[in-house]
Amino acid sequence: MEDTLLDLLHSEIINYTLQNGDEKDKKEEDLSGLEYIGFSTGYRIIERLTKEMPRFKDELDTMKFICTDFWLAVYKKQIDNLRTNHQGVYVLQDNAFRFLSRLSSGKQYLEAAPRYVAFTCGVIRGSLANLSIQCLVTAEVQSLPSCKFHIQVQRM
Amino acid sequence: MRSSISYILSTSSAEPNMSHPDYDQISHDHAALLILVKHIGSQLKPKVFTKFFERIAKLNEVKITDSAGQVRNILIRYIREHPVENNDWGDFQTHRRLIGLISIGKYDSQVELNEVCRVHESLKVKYNATLYDSRSILFGPAKEAESPIDRSSGSEESEIKEAGIEKYTTPSNFKTRALFYDEVSPCEDLENQITEFINSLFWVLESKRLERSREKLERVSLLYAPFEKKDFVGLDMESRQNKKRCTGRMTKHLGDLCLQAGLITDSLQYYSNAAEVLKGVNDWLWLGAAYEGLSAASALVLYPNMQRNESFQRIGSLPEGSPKKPIAEIQPTAAPVKKNILNLLPPDDISKRYREAIIHYSKYQNAGIVETEASFKAARISVEQNHALQAASFLQNVVYINLALSEQEKIQRFETLAHLYTQIGFNRKAAFCLRLAATRYVSPQNPSPNWNKCYSLMLQSLSGHKLILDPVEMLQADQGWPALQIQILQDLIVAAKRASFSALATRHMTFLLQTMWPHLSAVEQKELAIQLQSLSVQCEGSPVPLVLETGIVVPPANLTDIPICIGFVLKDLKPFLRPRLIEQEKEDMGPFLFTPIHFGSLDRNKNKGDPKMDFLWVENEACEISVKLLNPLPFELKVSDMRLLTSGIVFESVPETLTLAPEMATSLSLTGWARESGELEIAGYSTHALGVKSNCRLKYMTNNFPPHFKIDVIPSLPVLQVATSLPPSASFSNFHDDSIVTSASLSLYHGESAICTITLTNPSQIPIEMLEVTINGALDPSLQSEIFHIDQEAISSMLPLLPEQTASFPVKLFGAANFLAPNCAVSPSTGQEFNSGMFNSLSTIQGTSSFSRINSSFRSSNSGQSSLAAGLTSLFQQPTFCSSVEAQLKIRYSGGPGLQALHCRTSTVFFMLELLPSLHVTNWDVLPAETSSQFYLVLDVANLTTQEMELEYTKSKHMLIEGQESCRVPIPVNRCPLSKLSDYYEEPDQSKNIAAISKICSEHISELVKLKWLLNPTDSEGVACLKGITLNSRMLNIVRMSPLQWDIKINGDTFSSQEDLSCEAGDCMELQMSIANSLETSLKELTLSVQFYQDYNNGTLNYRMDTRLAISGASKKILSSLEPKDTANHRCNVVFFTPGLYKLDIQCYTPDANSASAAPLLNTGHVWRFTPAISIQVK
Amino acid sequence: MAVCAAIVGKDNSPKFFCCVNPDEELAFQFKVLSSLDIIEEKLNPTNKSASDNRELYLGQLYSLETCKIYGYVTNTKIKFIIVVDSTNMALRDNEIRSMFRRMHSEYADMVSNPFYIPGEAITSKMFDANIKSIITGTV
Repeated sequence: MEDTLLDLLHSEIINYTLQNGDEKDKKEEDLSGLEYIGFSTGYRIIERLTKEMPRFKDELDTMKFICTDFWLAVYKKQIDNLRTNHQGVYVLQDNAFRFLSRLSSGKQYLEAAPRYVAFTCGVIRGSLANLSIQCLVTAEVQSLPSCKFHIQVQRM
Repeated sequence: MRSSISYILSTSSAEPNMSHPDYDQISHDHAALLILVKHIGSQLKPKVFTKFFERIAKLNEVKITDSAGQVRNILIRYIREHPVENNDWGDFQTHRRLIGLISIGKYDSQVELNEVCRVHESLKVKYNATLYDSRSILFGPAKEAESPIDRSSGSEESEIKEAGIEKYTTPSNFKTRALFYDEVSPCEDLENQITEFINSLFWVLESKRLERSREKLERVSLLYAPFEKKDFVGLDMESRQNKKRCTGRMTKHLGDLCLQAGLITDSLQYYSNAAEVLKGVNDWLWLGAAYEGLSAASALVLYPNMQRNESFQRIGSLPEGSPKKPIAEIQPTAAPVKKNILNLLPPDDISKRYREAIIHYSKYQNAGIVETEASFKAARISVEQNHALQAASFLQNVVYINLALSEQEKIQRFETLAHLYTQIGFNRKAAFCLRLAATRYVSPQNPSPNWNKCYSLMLQSLSGHKLILDPVEMLQADQGWPALQIQILQDLIVAAKRASFSALATRHMTFLLQTMWPHLSAVEQKELAIQLQSLSVQCEGSPVPLVLETGIVVPPANLTDIPICIGFVLKDLKPFLRPRLIEQEKEDMGPFLFTPIHFGSLDRNKNKGDPKMDFLWVENEACEISVKLLNPLPFELKVSDMRLLTSGIVFESVPETLTLAPEMATSLSLTGWARESGELEIAGYSTHALGVKSNCRLKYMTNNFPPHFKIDVIPSLPVLQVATSLPPSASFSNFHDDSIVTSASLSLYHGESAICTITLTNPSQIPIEMLEVTINGALDPSLQSEIFHIDQEAISSMLPLLPEQTASFPVKLFGAANFLAPNCAVSPSTGQEFNSGMFNSLSTIQGTSSFSRINSSFRSSNSGQSSLAAGLTSLFQQPTFCSSVEAQLKIRYSGGPGLQALHCRTSTVFFMLELLPSLHVTNWDVLPAETSSQFYLVLDVANLTTQEMELEYTKSKHMLIEGQESCRVPIPVNRCPLSKLSDYYEEPDQSKNIAAISKICSEHISELVKLKWLLNPTDSEGVACLKGITLNSRMLNIVRMSPLQWDIKINGDTFSSQEDLSCEAGDCMELQMSIANSLETSLKELTLSVQFYQDYNNGTLNYRMDTRLAISGASKKILSSLEPKDTANHRCNVVFFTPGLYKLDIQCYTPDANSASAAPLLNTGHVWRFTPAISIQVK
Repeated sequence: MAVCAAIVGKDNSPKFFCCVNPDEELAFQFKVLSSLDIIEEKLNPTNKSASDNRELYLGQLYSLETCKIYGYVTNTKIKFIIVVDSTNMALRDNEIRSMFRRMHSEYADMVSNPFYIPGEAITSKMFDANIKSIITGTV
């Protein structure tokens, strides 16, 4: 039952955020508020999710955790593909991203897709931030419902 | 780590402590020969001694070839102090024995030399038990040549023969080899001497070792540690256990000797053997020593380059983790050859063994020193191995070792601990130890408390707790633990106070309040504030960095938040003092009319960075900043000497002192004087609160102010004081000009003039060189210029207005108004006709119908007393005639350097003029006069005031009009000459001309007619003019000078108006008339006519004279044209039948071409009459 | 029975500190501060031995005369420290571990509270009471 709740809540959050920014420039939708909500959520939830986990050895370990356990907990499935160039860039690919799965597949709603992934980008960023990995997360949607998250770790 | 079975194996000793811990030992010292370098006598300066000590200490490794040809690597350790008791442990660990002594002394005379030698000998005696050899380095007075050294072997020496100018001989009982040097000379062979000394020591040691090694192990005697002696009383010396014990101990001893002698592999062998043996007999102490030896030897092999790190400089705030050796060096260079060495402990085992050794030591209460030293050595090895946790555990153990140490030794222990903790990066722990050391310095048990050292140690401990002495940096740096930080700072302050560093105490207290304020409870805040006050009584705090002897700089701490600043606003100058730019002409920008490129205005960067104020300040004038402060303390706070902090140009700030009530916000103004022109930057203010001077910069304040404020200061401008001669007005209406400095109000009657004198005073020091006076108002400019008149010449003659000078100029005020009633119900433009009572009535050609439109009928009556008709009374009742005029007299002035910078100031005087109606011309008419060059302008003048008015309408005639009364006055006016009108006669279109002509005539009248009025009660007078008077065409005819010159002759005599003509009935009168055209153009179609009529004086004119008279000759004559300057004549005769008064109307008129639209009875053409009408009395 | 518990944030500033006996708070703060050094050392990635231990529980950090200090670091680099009285021999390792686990749960609940901003000191009274009950063993 919780899945439905999360889906609906998520959609509502998007609506709410976009409504508030309606008066402003229509060209660029201001999704930063949405992303920040995700950041805050991710930051906090990671504390609970990693409670039982052993300590992460290195960055790759952490990313793997995100792909498997974390994604499982939030989106009820694991990441389908993780790629890295070992230089701090990771690409997580989810072929059936939960929030996009309700929209029809293909390219029809491509323009609306960014709204639905902004929250998740924030969640990823927040979780990694709390695990002491500062990074930049962007999402790329080529055809719904498949989605790729690009994570670029910012090393000081 | 300590064993839980401590104290079991040794009785609690009542004996005094046997040795003193040497905290600087490293494990390599096990292999080193111990040499004491002693400073003798007071002649030698410590610096020199140190220099030589360090020079000698460099020789810590000597390679000696032994008898078998093997090169031995001998280590030497030099120390400055050695307690004799430590030698007692020499059996236990041989490296503790002092085997060499070098003394350094200086002498200037024989006596001193003897003294030095004596002391040396006594030292030898002291250490006699273990000393092998000694040397004495003696520095003689200058110019002493080096004495040759007698080369004799052996430890006992005879005296030296000295060469040199002055002979100093060592005393006869001096048995040591003396080396004579000059302290300033390079002493080149010192090293050789020392090396040779070491060699000799080595050989002794070697011989002892060989001796020992040849001993039969089974028969050796038992070696003791000093406290053990009584333990073995009564034990069976011959038991196997004991034998084994002896063997084990001796083996271990041999190991020590080998190690010292440079035979590492052998020593390892010995140690391991000993360990095994001793383990079997549970001889813990010596087992521990064996383990320690094993570890030390292994460490020596593995880390031959381990340093003592004496010169490690600890700087206050090292970043976390940096004292650790960089990772690159983590692998000590263990040559692969060494792996083949038997019994060599691998690195990890070293620590393990040490641990075991320490545990064994801990079982013996009296072995505390050894245990302590062992812990330190083990920690140092761990540091070398970069194993911080292990080192930490060793160090931790040190504190638990129960030793009766003197305070100084305890302090040293803590300091060493701190040092080592810092090396492994445990900064917090190190800081903790430093604090403990500091407290030890001043603990009650300490016989000589040293607050100075306590303070300096406390200061060093700050960095471990993340306390940086610069409060600005503190706020940006990592967070520490506030509760602890507060505690530490308080301790620091106490230390500073007791060490009499009152300036530092104040500074630290200030720092505490500044940085820890948010973490203090309200009670603490109050207490600490009070403490600061009392501290600062001793020494005031000021924002300068304090430099300590150690070179540490304590940066200034500024109390920016006591009081808190919640508002900081720069105030603009008062409006009348604000400088404005004098506008320049627009520069020619070249051929471009419009270009999107902005030349010279780079506004893009203007908004970034610091805000610059929009307004300007002026040099050498008071500038104000309003500051709002809040006192966070629960008691009254006195803040004195508040000044502004500025940079850029010279700014003199006026100090302010105030007392702030608790927890209340107070506003105050900080003023100052800019003494130069340019850009002023205001960074904050400085205060003196709680006894501490602080520079509070806006940058560092909590309330998000911009880092500073920038404002432009322009060069000095003069100031002007303006005064008027009129009283000020009560209110300023809707003009919003703030630069109004004064006002003037006046009531003027229409037509009255007044002068307002504006007095200008220059109270400043700058001359006024530019002065511009203008009038601004909402009125029509032409009307305004009538009302206000300023003499610009007078103004420019006032310049330059020097400082302290006064000048004045007049402003002429005139109550201009329209004296012709515009909203009078009676409209004069319809061509009112009325009879003037004073003159003979003139019947109009138009007839009586024109009277129908008159609302107010005028009786021909005497002037002055006429009662007024309804229209006039309504005129008087209209209240709107009283009007007020508001205007501003704007004075722009500038001078001095401000003028050169193109700035000026504006002061405005507000004028409020109340215009009261004086008189009004309600009606007017023109009547022909007796002479043809004039006409009578008849005016109905109403006195709209309530006072009696005397009207002078011609030069000689006066009329008195009561208040609110009207009267009629005739004014003789010259007719408008043709010269003014000549243009219009050429126009064929007559209707257009009428407007122009009437305008010209109107102007003519208004120029000539000036009505002067005088109000007797108030003595006001004025002049009314008739500008705007309108004339209809009939009036125009009269006003204008007739283009026709009439010449009438009656009976041959030229008619003149003064004469009364009379004749008898039946007489024939001859009329001769001639008209001359005085225009430049010709007149066409003229009809000259003669008519007689009788005037019944009741308004009726009778033109039917058929029965009364007869005219012979034509009564009309038509002239087709009359050329300029031409004259036309006409003659006729008239016979009167009946007597009576007849009037003759001679006129000449032209029919108008456009007569179609005219009223049928009116001649719209020009009609010229001969005026006045001629009256003939017929008898 | 533990006498003191502390939660230290990522930047080593104290987030939460509570003592059973408030008089000793300052002394305990000093001790806990020193133990931070050890924790950091253990977490240091260059240290070879630490990487074998994948546990969050760090074990005993310090053994002082009167007390023992135990540490626990979460994956998010939050450090929990418990100080236990040495005289109390009854507490075994497992019990300490379970105390830490419960502390972690409490902390995770705290973080999930949207009114709590991570990085600030924890001022919730409920949290305080809960932690106190954990360390005194009364749950």
